[in-house]
Amino acid sequence: MNKTLLGYVPERSPIYAIHPFVKLFFLLVASLFPLFISAPEWNFGLIIFVLLLMLYSRIDMRIMRIYVPVAISMASIIFLAYVVLGGFHPEFIEIGRLLGIRVYWERIRDAIVVYFRILPMIVMMVFFLNTSRERDVIVAMRTLRIPFVVTYVFAMALRAAGMVIEDFGIVRQAEQARGFDTHGKSLPYRLRKYVMYMIPLFALSLRRAEEFSNALIARGFAFTGPASKIKRADYVLTHYRFTRLDAVLTALIGLAFSALLVLRYGFGWFTLDRSVFLPRLEDLLLHR
Amino acid sequence: MPPIVEIENYSWRYLRAEQPALQDINLSIEEGTFVGVIGPNGSGKTTLANSLNGLIPGQYQGIKEGTVKIAGTEVDAYKPGELPQMVGVVFSDPEAQFTAMTVEDELVFGMENLGLSLAEIRERLDWVTDLTQLKPLLEKPPYEISGGQKQRVALAAVLAMMPRVMVLDEPTSMLDPVSRKRVFDVLARLKRESHNTVIVIEHNLENLVPLADRMILLHNGRVALDSETGPFFRQAATLEQAGVYPPGGIAFFHGLMQRGVYTGEIPLTLDAAVAALEGLIENRRYE
Repeated sequence: MNKTLLGYVPERSPIYAIHPFVKLFFLLVASLFPLFISAPEWNFGLIIFVLLLMLYSRIDMRIMRIYVPVAISMASIIFLAYVVLGGFHPEFIEIGRLLGIRVYWERIRDAIVVYFRILPMIVMMVFFLNTSRERDVIVAMRTLRIPFVVTYVFAMALRAAGMVIEDFGIVRQAEQARGFDTHGKSLPYRLRKYVMYMIPLFALSLRRAEEFSNALIARGFAFTGPASKIKRADYVLTHYRFTRLDAVLTALIGLAFSALLVLRYGFGWFTLDRSVFLPRLEDLLLHR
Repeated sequence: MPPIVEIENYSWRYLRAEQPALQDINLSIEEGTFVGVIGPNGSGKTTLANSLNGLIPGQYQGIKEGTVKIAGTEVDAYKPGELPQMVGVVFSDPEAQFTAMTVEDELVFGMENLGLSLAEIRERLDWVTDLTQLKPLLEKPPYEISGGQKQRVALAAVLAMMPRVMVLDEPTSMLDPVSRKRVFDVLARLKRESHNTVIVIEHNLENLVPLADRMILLHNGRVALDSETGPFFRQAATLEQAGVYPPGGIAFFHGLMQRGVYTGEIPLTLDAAVAALEGLIENRRYE
């Protein structure tokens, strides 16, 4: 496993043979799939598909453990928003009361639908972050002919994130050396005292910004003027080759998305009415 | 041939500062010279470095008097992006100079900014990674390499742009002794193999002195001493007044000279010091 700013990537993986553009294209397009799918079992299938891709890519699946709290938090928020704070709806089917709050079948159904739309997106993002280095994102953007300034600002943001994390460690160690440590203290205390880290970190960031901008100028980078219009060699792209397989995969992803739209709007697939899972759950909850 | 760096009656005062950071500086540096600039903190060393690469007055506000010329042209007269082809700078903090996501991208970034072709980039990349021994690190991101390695990357990135003048502003101040030596090893190789003008601002004299052809002492924003390296360290009183203490070997021989025990040239390297001491002992034996 190799650490990146975005996550951990496997040392070796068959996915590395695929051009970064294809991975980014998959993330961007396949993340749209759940938005057009209402029936949760299809989105569940999509999650399984991405998990299989992760296995194929030799991602250490233990990484998923750190996303479990995210999934649980998401479920809690959606449940609260839809079911507990869903409001009074006499037109809906009431299945019972929870601490005096009316619980409607339609609200539970909508919460499940929304949750199963978000989950595949999270899993896809995890897949992307654990198969792509920072450089891959830059390469994908440059392949798309996104202007260098935009790509570079994105790269700088990634770099700055790394620097802020490192600086945070420095500030924290410096404060610990001066006897200030929130370790083992209550959460409210830690939140209150967080400002002790934030102020020096902010000051340090301002200094970093100045140093960083000096470094850019020293490397001959210019945002304006003739130097900014120089045609760049895009050396980084020479390490990657867009193969026939990449073209096929890109086409397949595009075709899959088109097929999804046709099936959804042409034939009514993936809708709530066509769901197999939801009617069974409804029967179960309503004791039919 | 005219000097590559010409500074005439140059003064710089930062906005809202009471005293000028640099005052009445007159310097002329010939191409191919290796210059060491020393002085206590606040003596104006970094201001001098930033004045050479155009960051002053470009990025800082203040009042400038006099001229700073690189290859006969005033630094203000260079268009954005032009001066880095003439003057390359390595700053003290290796962390803040890393502008890309891998070592290789970092080395290539400056060359791409110059508009070099792929073939030329490859050729220079080969040369510079060989010179700085960075080949095994090319794929590494900045957070996977040490401070010393980052500083070598910064040095290599500037070298790859092949500037005529290299300015290194305390390049080893944040490094451990081993990393420090490796940076100076690169500079030594550069001195042997190329005709670059190198200006190194340093507190650590042990590594700098053996390489420097000329030394400049800055004190309170003025040039307090400027001469070839050997004679420079004979001015012990001036150096001590400025709070600069020569390396142990030089101080030792200077002490011997003051006591009238030694009359030769002050040895600048450890090897030269050993040889001089051996000679001294040998002479005493026959007296």
